[in-house]
Amino acid sequence: MLAEALRSGDRTKLPGRRHEGWRWTDLFGALTTVPPLNPERQALGSWSVPIALDGVVVRRFAAPIQGGVEHVTLEVPAGDHRVVLDLIEAGQGRYVRDLAFDFTLGVGASLERLVMIADDADAVSVATTHVQMQARCDFAQTVLASGARRQRVETHVDHPGGAGRVRLDGAYLLAGARHADQTTVVRHLGRDGESRQLVRGVVAGAARGVFQGRIEVLQGADGTDARLAHNGLILSDRAEIDSKPELEIYADDVACAHGNTIGALDEDALFYAMSRGLPEAEARRLLITAFVGEVAERIRHPGLRDQALIFLAAQAEAFDGEGR
Amino acid sequence: MLKIDNLHVRVGEAEILKGLSLSVPTGEVHAVMGPNGAGKSTLSYTLAGRSGYEVTDGTAQLLGDDLLALNASERAAKGVFLSFQYPLEIPGVPALTFVRAALNAQRKARGEGEISAPEFLKKAKAEAANLKMDFEMLRRGLNVGFSGGEKKRMEIFQMAMLAPRLAILDETDSGLDIDALKIVSEGVNALRAADRSMLVITHYQRLLDHIRPDRVHVLAAGRIVASGGPELALELERDGYDKYGKAA
Amino acid sequence: MAADVETLATVEALAGEKYAHGFVTDIEQEFSEKGLNPDVIRFISAKKAEPDWLLAWRLEAYARWLALDEPDWAKISYPPIDYQALYYYAAPKEKVGPKSLDEVDPDLLETYKKLGIPLKEQEILAGVEGASRYAVDAVFDSVSVVTTFKAELAKAGVIFCPLSEAVREHPDLVRAYLGTVVPTSDNYFACLNSAVFSEGSFVYVPPGVRCPMELSTYFRINASSTGQFERTLIIADKGAYVSYLEGCTAPMRDENQLHAAVVELVALEDAEIKYSTVQNWYPGDAEGRGGIYNFVTKRADCRGDRSKVSWTQVETGSAITWKYPSCILRGADSVGEFYSIAITNNRQQADTGTKMIHLGPGSRSRIIAKGISAGRSTSTYRGLVSVHPKAKGARNFTQCDSLLIGKDCAAHTVPYVEARNGSAKLEHEATTTRLSEDQLFYAMQRGLSQEEAVQLLVNGFVKDVLQELPMEFAVEAQKLVAVSLEGSVG
Repeated sequence: MLAEALRSGDRTKLPGRRHEGWRWTDLFGALTTVPPLNPERQALGSWSVPIALDGVVVRRFAAPIQGGVEHVTLEVPAGDHRVVLDLIEAGQGRYVRDLAFDFTLGVGASLERLVMIADDADAVSVATTHVQMQARCDFAQTVLASGARRQRVETHVDHPGGAGRVRLDGAYLLAGARHADQTTVVRHLGRDGESRQLVRGVVAGAARGVFQGRIEVLQGADGTDARLAHNGLILSDRAEIDSKPELEIYADDVACAHGNTIGALDEDALFYAMSRGLPEAEARRLLITAFVGEVAERIRHPGLRDQALIFLAAQAEAFDGEGR
Repeated sequence: MLKIDNLHVRVGEAEILKGLSLSVPTGEVHAVMGPNGAGKSTLSYTLAGRSGYEVTDGTAQLLGDDLLALNASERAAKGVFLSFQYPLEIPGVPALTFVRAALNAQRKARGEGEISAPEFLKKAKAEAANLKMDFEMLRRGLNVGFSGGEKKRMEIFQMAMLAPRLAILDETDSGLDIDALKIVSEGVNALRAADRSMLVITHYQRLLDHIRPDRVHVLAAGRIVASGGPELALELERDGYDKYGKAA
Repeated sequence: MAADVETLATVEALAGEKYAHGFVTDIEQEFSEKGLNPDVIRFISAKKAEPDWLLAWRLEAYARWLALDEPDWAKISYPPIDYQALYYYAAPKEKVGPKSLDEVDPDLLETYKKLGIPLKEQEILAGVEGASRYAVDAVFDSVSVVTTFKAELAKAGVIFCPLSEAVREHPDLVRAYLGTVVPTSDNYFACLNSAVFSEGSFVYVPPGVRCPMELSTYFRINASSTGQFERTLIIADKGAYVSYLEGCTAPMRDENQLHAAVVELVALEDAEIKYSTVQNWYPGDAEGRGGIYNFVTKRADCRGDRSKVSWTQVETGSAITWKYPSCILRGADSVGEFYSIAITNNRQQADTGTKMIHLGPGSRSRIIAKGISAGRSTSTYRGLVSVHPKAKGARNFTQCDSLLIGKDCAAHTVPYVEARNGSAKLEHEATTTRLSEDQLFYAMQRGLSQEEAVQLLVNGFVKDVLQELPMEFAVEAQKLVAVSLEGSVG
């Protein structure tokens, strides 16, 4: 919807409050004008990636100068295994970007993907991924977000069932007035599919985290085993987390569950760590890093996992002094 | 080592400790026994600096320094260690990472340098072996999925690694079967030292069969109401707490 | 499994027959003209001899309603409702508000007897020893037929009467509270109700009074082509306590009938209201013909500090259920609870849940929702937990479980959570599973019949909620649950 608005320049095409899926991420309200499309890009450089990240395809996406629309496709041939690191890099200023990814996985293909998205605090940024899977595919994704004026990473996976597996994880660490939205839709189309999701977020300052996760199990998709968990920590009274984990079930032989918790940092754990000698700030950082770190720990590729942990540790560091 | 004088502590609206006084000389092991509700856990949490435990009167000093003016981590750096009755689970933080971070934070606060990784690992392996712990457990999330006995062992492991001056053992025997109790007690006894004091807080005498105290104090209704040698514990075991009155 | 096919067939055969309350009372009734316009509203208002302010209030609501659109966000589908094809007022002829039971039409008394609702106080008193007494307000289409135990309640200072009577006898109370929890233009159906509401109950419990008995209202739709638009208002003053239960049934008809009620609860400081519903409106037949369209707005305002409102509902009836009994937790340390069992079978559709709006510091809420879908039905839990910045230390626990019986049903869970402060603690868990074949087999292996085994497992599934009902209704509700699902093993 954002791409359409950017292409046409028509502000009324921006998604906003009146769209159920965008009630908490109001782009219409955030943008008084739609910036013109401009193919120019800002310089890369917000991340330094190890030159030899073994066996990983690293793709870097530079921020536009004004409005930017990009469409990227990836095909993993039958039986192949790919590891992808998508770095959606920050630029400066009030740019507006729409990135669309289309992934197609052949029979028995597998893809592990890490998305790290950084944006300027004034930017509006949306990245949407659609994944088509065949039988016996394995798709695993981890999205790490740090927010923007409005930032949304949306992922749709059509799961054919069979022996296929899907993991859709995410983490967000937000400070200042940043806003990050992680939205997922997993559609179980066939029998015996499995999906797992773990999304964890921490908000400080006046930041706002949004999580929407829908599991759909269509008629005939019996034997589906789908689980989703979202856990949020709010470190400040001006911060906010909005979440909607949804189950939409049209088959009866299923085991679906979601859990959603939102709360403050566990005071007991904080005291425990402090009683062992960790100063408060360090104890907080340790607990926050551990909390979101569990998302990174689920990444199979060791190189990707390290990148994720580094990213999260750096984010947790930025929280110091802003917690309360 | 530890000198507590006329300590009054409120938790919410209720006054739990009502003028508690207690001294533990350096190198000694003292037991504090008392019925449920006497204020045993309040004493240990107050000494460790948990928020919500409001000291309204009295003092508590460690080697002449005012403990009450410090926050929990500062007290730890001074050498106060509390073995929790219910140790916390911290998913995502391996025990080794946790202990190393704590040890280094304490050393930093005392103006000492960081411990090197090989030195730390060597010490951790040795202590784990002493406590008959599977070293792999130390690589998993702290206390996550551990049994009651494993958690208590993990507390003693941390105590060994952090080498405190004053160790407070809060109901360390609760939830332990006899074998685990032996291992934990041996671990504690191995840590007895001339420059270290211990405060063993317990409801039952059975722990004191394994960790023999120099002195025994009876805590009832927020005060120390009797003190004596190890024989006092046996007397309590025999006669119960009735003669010290009901808890507040 | 062959047994499944067999039992599924049984349930289809049973559908329609098992609804025991589907008879029609043949009684002469008086109607408003068909359709809705300002004159109809004036007619209703005049019938109830209302003061001018209430008529003006109704007309204003009507004007607003004309400007609103019917909501379309719920997971329910139904053909457009022709609001001009309905009667908005129907009442048994002659006696409006009889003075005593002797004046009540014997046919009506017979109706309530058939429904198992005791209206004669002496009969209740002479009933089973040890059974607790409860007072009843019996609403038949658009009017209240009788309210029992009024005198005894009055001794305790408790007012329990039809709303229309309260408008006449206690105008200040009604005017002070009516529409303060659910404003006239709150939503499409509440707005419609505000314009045309006919009957409902009014309860006022004075400060410090514990209502000496359970209060209950029994709603009966009888006339055809008629909507029921009751409005209930319950006020528990400081430190008061009241437990209230409503029951609902309607005849079996091929047409769909509209029921759009509004319930407002106000709990002042330290007050507690327990509101229980056993909703058994006619659900329609196996093919989805007929049944009640149940569009209801229920909301509680926990206005005072430490006030508490507990909603318990057992929803087995109606072709369509659209209701979200909610709590505005305004008072410090106020408490809201929602316990729900929603059962859908055949072609029924239910979109139900709750909203817990945490405004006061220390406010707490608890939501336990159990949905069971069978046949070709759809059941949706839709909920909102919203914690505002001032609600420091707010707590919520939500548990929503769905049980699916059969291949063609659907179950959805749509919980919205909005947390806006750093000291709130919110927990939500949801599961969707099928009736466990292993458990079923285990129970049957030990000698239970398939029916008994299903009942046993379903009872286990809904137990947490049934426990919240007043004792005598819990038993009734348990039977209702069993009957609603008879034979539907999947």
